[in-house]
Amino acid sequence: MMQIEAVTTVMRALADPTRRAVFEQIANSNEITVVELTRSSNVTQGAISHHLKALREAGLVLERPEGRNVYYRAQPGGLEPLAGWLNHYGVFWRERFADLKNMLKEIDP
Amino acid sequence: MTAHLSSDLQSIVIDEVLPHAPALVWKALTSGELTTRWLMEPKGFRAEVGCRFTFQTTPAGLWDGTIQCEVLEIIPNERLSYAWRSGHDGNEDYGSRLDTVVTFSVSATEAGTRLRLVHSGFETPRNDSAYRNMGEGWKKVVERLDTVAAEEGPSQPKH
Repeated sequence: MMQIEAVTTVMRALADPTRRAVFEQIANSNEITVVELTRSSNVTQGAISHHLKALREAGLVLERPEGRNVYYRAQPGGLEPLAGWLNHYGVFWRERFADLKNMLKEIDP
Repeated sequence: MTAHLSSDLQSIVIDEVLPHAPALVWKALTSGELTTRWLMEPKGFRAEVGCRFTFQTTPAGLWDGTIQCEVLEIIPNERLSYAWRSGHDGNEDYGSRLDTVVTFSVSATEAGTRLRLVHSGFETPRNDSAYRNMGEGWKKVVERLDTVAAEEGPSQPKH
């Protein structure tokens, strides 16, 4: 069950398309600063910082302050909760249960 | 797979009370017609221990998308358990070899019926280098994230 909660946390964090784009860029870089992330996006630095906070809290990125800069990099294994069958069926059964409930409601209102 | 040695078996558990009679919930689990409506079409299913049947889903890599099932236990109006085997040794992660068991337990409650699903036997690889290195793992999950994002409802407005 813990695994399912981790899946939900990571999915929530990545459900926002802008945040996902930010994460993708971090994942494709070795290390990257907020300034660099902002430069290549069409949102404000404040918005990027907000997304970085959410990604950090979901365990997806790590930060490394150095001087006046903070460098971000992808957290190794951060996407692990989304890997493979366990995640697939966690989502699958939740959806199927919703369908089951709807069907029962139709048959037996 | 070497992952086998260093993996734990995990389960998915869903437990809900449904405002319907146990007999109806049981029918939803054991009637092929009803199962088709909420789950998938159970081809060849009969409510008998030993019955082998299949579900057909989307292929992934070397796996043709067939889920091979076998009824393991049936206690009318109480418990239905079947093997749920799929995947292929040549795939990793989603689509890899899967040997699991799905068990539905039904019991009467004041509010209707308690239905508990346990899908057990998942091996969680601990040493999956693809996911430690992000790159490949990321590509694999993007597609499914799009589906989930849609389910989560409208995303927040762009800043």
